Amino acid sequence: MMTEAEIRQKLREWVVRQSGKIRPEELADDTAIIEKRIIKSVRIPDLILFIEEHSGRTIDVEQLKPGVFRNIDTIYRNFFAVKAHGPGPEKA
Amino acid sequence: MALDLKKLDGIGWQENGQAVLSGMALAMLRRLDRLFLLWAGECGAEEYRFPTFIEAGQLHKLDYFRSFPHLVTFPVALDTSPEHLKEFSRSAVIDEAGVVQLGKCAPVREVLTPAACYHFYVLFQGTELKTARNLTTVATCFRREAYYRPLERQWNFTMREIVRIGAAEEVKDFLADYRARIERFLSDIGLPVAWENATDPFFDPSRNPKFLAQKLEPVKTEMVFGGALAIGSINFHRNFFGETFDMRRNGEAAFSGCVAFGVERWLYAFLSRFGPDERSWPSALRSHGIAGDLANDK
Repeated sequence: MMTEAEIRQKLREWVVRQSGKIRPEELADDTAIIEKRIIKSVRIPDLILFIEEHSGRTIDVEQLKPGVFRNIDTIYRNFFAVKAHGPGPEKA
Repeated sequence: MALDLKKLDGIGWQENGQAVLSGMALAMLRRLDRLFLLWAGECGAEEYRFPTFIEAGQLHKLDYFRSFPHLVTFPVALDTSPEHLKEFSRSAVIDEAGVVQLGKCAPVREVLTPAACYHFYVLFQGTELKTARNLTTVATCFRREAYYRPLERQWNFTMREIVRIGAAEEVKDFLADYRARIERFLSDIGLPVAWENATDPFFDPSRNPKFLAQKLEPVKTEMVFGGALAIGSINFHRNFFGETFDMRRNGEAAFSGCVAFGVERWLYAFLSRFGPDERSWPSALRSHGIAGDLANDK
């Protein structure tokens, strides 16, 4: 099972790779990735798939709340950290 | 109190979604736009007047036709070959249902303006902005809708916009200042408006990632009157137009934002809230130059 640091690193690598315009050292965990359009809207479905794959949780798009994908911190808190308090719904 | 527009002088209605304004209603509409223009002046916005059409090729860069095909209206002209014009002019032209039998048409390359501010991003395309630009324009905008109601939802309507193109913080400050400005005004005159996060009216939203992005990071806040009618909105476009149209500020893709007023909807809200007789309107409306001697307005 991945540690928090490993998960954050994987997320940062994915964002840098998908964006194609930001260098790794420019991306902090509180960098606003959607607001700054580092991740463009067309890539959001891929981000959801990436999170599902690495968290083992299914994401119900209808239930997503504003701000959950704001930055690496919010993604970690909303989709990975909650596992510490019990497993989320398993992916089918 | 429900507003019965049919009993009001100065508001005529055509079932194809178009209003005819005259008298007090027209004077009131002008006063409202004058007020918005005054607000635009507070940030030194340069005023522009754009043509009715905008190039389809420019809107295509925004993916407009995939996002909003249900709203778009095209200007159509006849094919100008002498044979076709002769044929058309000698035909019945219109059938019993009022449908024009166009025959051959000229290629369509334009769209009737669907939102006033698009013209600015096309105009400043490919430019490096030395300072943030504050801009304003008013336009008759055209949007096809599933149904129409006088003043509330029309095929064509008046949109005033105040726009800033600049760096991210410059645009955010601009939008926050205008929100505070409008909130003060609404509170002063006693017009109840709720500020609500909203998304653009995308076609088939569940399949459009832009809709998802707007839901996750709200960029549109609407001024909602009476629980359902958005009379205006404050929009943060991030650097979407900056990237699409290569507008740069400090060497990076510029950010932009706009404050938009649906002027007929403001008229509707004022008539609903304060009634059709301006003599009974609160004095605050006079001090803001909206009420007072409307009958003599030119």
